[in-house]
Formats: sequence, C-alpha cells, structure tokens
Amino acid sequence: MKRGWFVVLMFCTVAGFAQDAELPFDERGKFIYYEVVVQKDVPAVTLKERAAKFFSSSKELKLKTAPQDSLWMSRGKMVINKTAFVLSRPSGEVGYHLYVDFKEGKYRFWLTDFSFISYQRDRYGSFVPETTVAIPLENKPGKLNAGEWTAYSKATAREARLFAERFKKGMLESAINPPTAKAVPSVDTKNQKW
Amino acid sequence: MKLKSIFTTASLSVASFSYAQEAAPLQISGSVDTYYKYDFAKVPNIGTSFANDQNSISLGMIDLALKKTTGKASFVGELSFGPRGQYGSLLNGDGTDDNSFHIQNLYASYAFTDKFTVTAGYMGTFIGYEVIAPTGNFNYSTSYLFTNGPFQNAGIKGAYAFSNKVSLMVGLFNDWNVYKDLNGVSHIGAQLTVSPVEGWTAYLNVLSGKSAGAVGTGTVLDLTTSYQVTEKVKLGLNAADYSVTNDGGGYSGAALYVQNAFTSAFSLGLRGEYFNWKGVAEESDKHVAAVTLSGNVKAGGLTFIPEVRFDNGSSSDMFKKKNLNPSKNASQFALAVVYAF
Repeated sequence: MKRGWFVVLMFCTVAGFAQDAELPFDERGKFIYYEVVVQKDVPAVTLKERAAKFFSSSKELKLKTAPQDSLWMSRGKMVINKTAFVLSRPSGEVGYHLYVDFKEGKYRFWLTDFSFISYQRDRYGSFVPETTVAIPLENKPGKLNAGEWTAYSKATAREARLFAERFKKGMLESAINPPTAKAVPSVDTKNQKW
Repeated sequence: MKLKSIFTTASLSVASFSYAQEAAPLQISGSVDTYYKYDFAKVPNIGTSFANDQNSISLGMIDLALKKTTGKASFVGELSFGPRGQYGSLLNGDGTDDNSFHIQNLYASYAFTDKFTVTAGYMGTFIGYEVIAPTGNFNYSTSYLFTNGPFQNAGIKGAYAFSNKVSLMVGLFNDWNVYKDLNGVSHIGAQLTVSPVEGWTAYLNVLSGKSAGAVGTGTVLDLTTSYQVTEKVKLGLNAADYSVTNDGGGYSGAALYVQNAFTSAFSLGLRGEYFNWKGVAEESDKHVAAVTLSGNVKAGGLTFIPEVRFDNGSSSDMFKKKNLNPSKNASQFALAVVYAF
C-alpha cells in the first residue's frame, strides 16, 4: 500500500514539474514548442484541408501564407492569466508564430517567436494591453522582475501545450466529420397508458 | 474508513475543479497606494487631486474590482476605500456622509454583436488622459485638467466599432460625478476613437448638458491621444475646453506627456501642462503652468514613483510661501508606492 502511494506521489510530482517547465530553445535561441505528428495513410492535401478548417474556426490565428504553400505560417496570441482557485485575472498576452509543415502521412508544427505584452486595468476596470511594443520572451528582465517573467514564461509553455492538444485534435478526421448528435431522450406524457 | 474519507475528499476536489473549468472565472483585481509628499514651502500648496498631505506618509486607497463575463453579458463592480477614494474623489452615498467607500465603476454591459455593445451604470469618465486609480497614471500627482474635469459619468451608452481602427460611442448621462441625477438625465456625450497606425490612438470626446443648479449649459470638448513612438518612447497629449453658457466660466488647457523606458524596470516621464480657468461673469481668467518629472521603478506588481513638480501661476496669490505670504510658485517632492494585483 505504502509503495502504491509512493508511486502515485512520484507521478504527481513529475506531472507537476512537467506542467511548470519552460519551453526548450531552438537553434536561434528562441523558445519553441515542436512536435511531429504521424497520421498514417492520410494524404498531405487532406491534412491541409483539416488545418484550413482549424484555422478558419480559430479567432486567435491569422494565416500569413497562401494555403497552397507547403509551409504555413500564422500569427496568434494567447492570454496569460493569474489564477488562484476559481479566481483569475489576465496579466498579459503572448503573441507567437505558428508554423505547420505538411507531408504525406504526417505533419509537423511549431510555435515560436513568443513575445509578451503586459496588461493593465483601464478606467472601466477592464484589462487592456499596456503598450503596443511586445518584448521577446527570451529577453530576461533584471532581477526586479525576474520572478514574474519566469511565471509568464512557464504560463506560456502551459498554454502552448494546451494549444498543441487542441490543434492535434482538430487535425483528426473526427474533427472534420463530427459524429451526429444523439437524440435527447424525451418522455411522452400524452400517449402513455397509466 | 480513513481511506474512504480521503477518496471522498479527493472526489469532491476533482468535482470542484471540473466546475471551475466550466465556469467563466470571476476576475478580481485592484491596487493599493501610499505616498509621502513634501512641499518646499512647508505648507500644502498644489491643489490638484490626491497626494495633498504635507510632510506625511499618507494613504491613497485600496481599490478592489470584480469583473465577470458570461457569454455576451458582463459586469464590473469596483470600490475604493481610503482617502484617495473616500475624500479625494467624490461625495458618496447620499452626499452627506463623506467617510464610506467610493464606487469607481458599477455597470453591466451586453455585446449584441462583435461590433456593438451597450453599457449602463456608473463608469469612469471617457473624458481626459488621467484616471483616479494610481495604476492608470504615470505621474502620481494629477494634472489640473484631470482635477477640473469629470471623474465619472453615470449613464447608458452604445459603442459601435466600424473597424479595428474606428469606433464611436454615444450615450446619455447624468450630471458629472453623481450616482443619481437631480434634474433628470441631462447630458449627452460621444467619443470617436481612431487608431490610424499601430501604437497611435486618439479619442475625440464631447460631453454637454445642464447640471442641476448650473447657470448654463456646460460643454467639454476633449482630445486625448497617445503614441508609442519607439520601443522606449511614448508621447501623450490631452487638450480640453470647457465652457458654461451665461458667463458660467469653465476652463481650457493642454498637457503633454513624454515618457522614456530606459529599461524594463525603470522609466522617466515628464508632464508639462498649461491650464486656464475662465473667469465667471466679470472675473478675469487665471492660468497656471506646471512641470512634473516622475520616475517609475517596477518590481513585479510594485511601482515606486519618485516625483518632483514645479507650478507657476499667473497671479501672486495662487500659492503660499513658507511665511504664508502669497506666491506665484510652488514646488513639491513626492514618493509614492503603488501595488497592483
């Protein structure tokens, strides 16, 4: 029993760490989330169709290249929230580039060029960008703001992972042809014998 | 038994977490501020809003804001406690007890479409550059334009975004700075927002109406604009004119804001202002020019604001000297601490 709890505890510790890890750097020294996804027997053209559908349904992404290109690039943004229990408030937004590369039976995508814009509360109590100038997430500020910056960086990694899950789900066939909704069961009270 | 209770607790925790995931989060935010001010004439001199206590470590306010959005509907409730809100902003409640909390924002809005939103309630004014909450201003002491303009407006307004560069707000409002209007909904206001290029936004504002007990109709015309010139340099401008018909006076003025971010943690900002009080009836106009230099040192949510300010008035009785004789000039030093959460 003790051993079982120990394994569960270890798992939780590893999961917690994985959630809080910052993203790795690419060869340019930029943070990157990179993944190759194999979808055997799915032609590249079909993968592109699925990606196009995902992009068109997403308000946060703006495609910057022509759909016929083999490498797609888009600009997106994610809002970073400070959260405690059920309370939350946005602390800033992170802009990024999303690249998607298609081949027969597989695709790869990566998020990079993350840049942060801090939010501040406006006169109406709403959070709005403090400036239009975004700071690359790799640019570490001085000691005074290092802790907060690391938190932004970790939150970005978390959001990038969540985005990756959504994107991969969107690239599955079931996302293009969703199963028809089951009829909601109802009770007929008029034609009942009772 | 013990194990069972652990599992029950765990199940409840998971259920709570799932619920939290589904519900839109309630936003809680706010700020706390405190300051020290020293007027070089050793008497309180410069009469703009807030930071008025002489040679004292004094309180600003604690400001608490709640925001919740459910689908297309949202509300904001923002209350402040402390001298900056209770005494420095407005009368509160029924106007007889000036020692309770102060409402900064209390409104609900509904987004009928992505472009059209209607909002009703008590809102921070759309006029002017500076705001009541210290987190919204670069300088800690405020401008004459801020002090003499409206702080808040209760009313109903509709805002339509023609594009991401142009939008228009039109609304009906109460008198300035009152929770309820004694002479009916008496003001009409509008704001045209244009963002010609990235980093530059300009607001053209108008608010007109006859307040309860006023001799005439007051109209304020206001331009508020800011431009992020480079990564480090930001410019801001506020120019306004307020006139009350039937020789009811008013004001006009302009304030220029120049800020430079030397590092991500340290910025310097200069505010230069010219302000003119229009004489009522036979009175002559009075004016003042003020220069304020402020630093912003940021450490996480904390901002330190050291500040020096020099005011020069048109009449010799505008300020006081050390010996309490009248003076045309005043100068002060302030150090404020503002924490935003």
